[in-house]
Amino acid sequence: MRYSKEFLLELHKNLLETRLLEEKMKDLYAQGRVPGHVHSGVGQEAAYVGTLSTRKPGDYFKLTHRPTAMPRMLGTPLEMLFGELLAKKTGNSGGRGGSLHIGELRTGVLGMSGTLGCDAGVAVGAALTIDMEDRDNIVYMFMGDGTSSRGPVYEAMNLAAAWKLPVLFICENNQYAISTHVSASIPVENALADRAAGYGMPARVADGTDVLAVYEAAEEMSAYVRSGKGPAVLECKDYRWRGHFEGDQCAYRDAAAAREWMEKRDCVKNLEAMLTEQGLLTPEEAAAMRESFDAEMEAAIAQAEAAPAMTPDEIYDGLYA
Amino acid sequence: MKVPYVKAINDALKEEMRRDGRIVVYGEDVAEFGGIFGETRGLLEEFGPKRVRNTPIAETAIVASAAGAAMTGLRPCVELMYADFTMVAFTEIFHVVSKWRYMHGPEYKLPLVIRCASGSSNGAGAEHSNVVESLFMHAPGLTVVTPSCAYDAKGLLKSAIRSDNPVLFCEPKQLYQVKQDIADSVYESDYTIPIGAADVKRPGRDVTLVAVGLMVPRALEAAEKLSAEGIEVEVVDPRTLAPLDTDTIYQSIRKTHRAAVVEEGNKTAGVGAELAARFQEEQYDELDGPVVRIAALDVPMPYNIPMEKYAIPDVERICASIRAMMK
Repeated sequence: MRYSKEFLLELHKNLLETRLLEEKMKDLYAQGRVPGHVHSGVGQEAAYVGTLSTRKPGDYFKLTHRPTAMPRMLGTPLEMLFGELLAKKTGNSGGRGGSLHIGELRTGVLGMSGTLGCDAGVAVGAALTIDMEDRDNIVYMFMGDGTSSRGPVYEAMNLAAAWKLPVLFICENNQYAISTHVSASIPVENALADRAAGYGMPARVADGTDVLAVYEAAEEMSAYVRSGKGPAVLECKDYRWRGHFEGDQCAYRDAAAAREWMEKRDCVKNLEAMLTEQGLLTPEEAAAMRESFDAEMEAAIAQAEAAPAMTPDEIYDGLYA
Repeated sequence: MKVPYVKAINDALKEEMRRDGRIVVYGEDVAEFGGIFGETRGLLEEFGPKRVRNTPIAETAIVASAAGAAMTGLRPCVELMYADFTMVAFTEIFHVVSKWRYMHGPEYKLPLVIRCASGSSNGAGAEHSNVVESLFMHAPGLTVVTPSCAYDAKGLLKSAIRSDNPVLFCEPKQLYQVKQDIADSVYESDYTIPIGAADVKRPGRDVTLVAVGLMVPRALEAAEKLSAEGIEVEVVDPRTLAPLDTDTIYQSIRKTHRAAVVEEGNKTAGVGAELAARFQEEQYDELDGPVVRIAALDVPMPYNIPMEKYAIPDVERICASIRAMMK
């Protein structure tokens, strides 16, 4: 496929900013500045950025716990993102939800359940709204390989297929459910793609570390879903660079294999090399982008750290409409 | 007119669906079949297959999809058939539906109703006879409603559908065919009953008897008998278990100075356990004796019908418990 310069640079910007945010969040955690947990998605950006680059206004998104940064690409300001991460009133729920629940409905983000997979049906419900309103929109339902074994995911896929609802089920298969490798827990090669046939859904598997490969597969599958034919599956294969949460030393896996993924399959590095080769981006420009976005993040973090936190008299606020 | 409880549910659904095109009804066997107790009969014919849908047997998907549909603009009124099946979707009700708004912020609203048929009936056995209010009173963010008569059922279901908060709506199945005399002009008047308002079903000076669901008609019958013995029982129906109208209940306790709770659910950690704890914490000085719990025996509901009847409070057991309080 041939792409315009604008498209490629936009893709790069989203990929790089997601990377920098994920790195920043793990650094903040290491410095003891995050009250809860951080599930870093460093190295896994391409699966999400590539897929979400096919979105259209009015679409809905059921994100996952990593990368935590994704609401940024969908339009949530950094001040709000860091406000929620740092449990401040400037966060979307004022610090009641935390890192898993960052996002805004106005940007199409449906939210997520910390009980992974229980939210697959939420995506199906949003697709029901689209169906009732006869809109040309779809729902992007992201999950990891671990979640792909949960029962509610299959109830949701079955319902979406039975009602021919516009949901693209995306499995980002990073091979690890906390410490358990897919080879020990999933009896098929492709966690979700191989199980899609049971629901009559077409499926595509993409190299999740190649943002253009993800985009192309997502373009095909999202077009199918958008055309009203029913739900479909996209599986993006990549590798979880870091532990399940920060602090997890990954003693359960081969460090050399992990290093190889990080060196050879770095989605940001590989895209930048391609863009440089094509004369679309210079290393100096990329460095300047990093510097400028870092300043933007630091300003947002400073604002979040200075922002007030919820007080006891506000603990019940937001429970009922 | 004489209105069966199930007709009140059915009419509330129809009237609300005529009023608001965003209301959708779905669940297992709710379309052509009309619900296994007939609650959704005629909906498919009037509102069509987009607004009235059968689902696969998939309770987690029914509940979670209602949340997703509600936050994006529909007003789903879904059915889980038996209240027992709420436990299949416990996480979806407890974590997803109840906590979503709190976890994600005030931009998220979940106007949805989960209807279910609850309690015992004619040998349905241990997994089709449960009442579940006490389990879900433990879920902050959730509204729990159990009407005890046709008039309340219609008015409360309308309020539940119009509420911007998620509501678990329990319908005691032994009440479905019970008829109530309601003036036509009232029944057809588009009345609603506010969520969170208890109702004094019978005034009395001696004992406050808080009765839930199926136990309300039994409490009223017991009160009639006890009246002949000189004991005047005030029967209070909370109608909404969460949030609980303690103002109305405490007003009654301050008058009678004695309180009992009667419910169809198991005694241990039941509705009565929670209410008794609150009464003694908040009304200790007003009480002349311990708060009494009248509840189902702590057994799985036996299939054997005489034993099923024995397991839950009947009029005689209620009378005996109240008499003992007055000694």
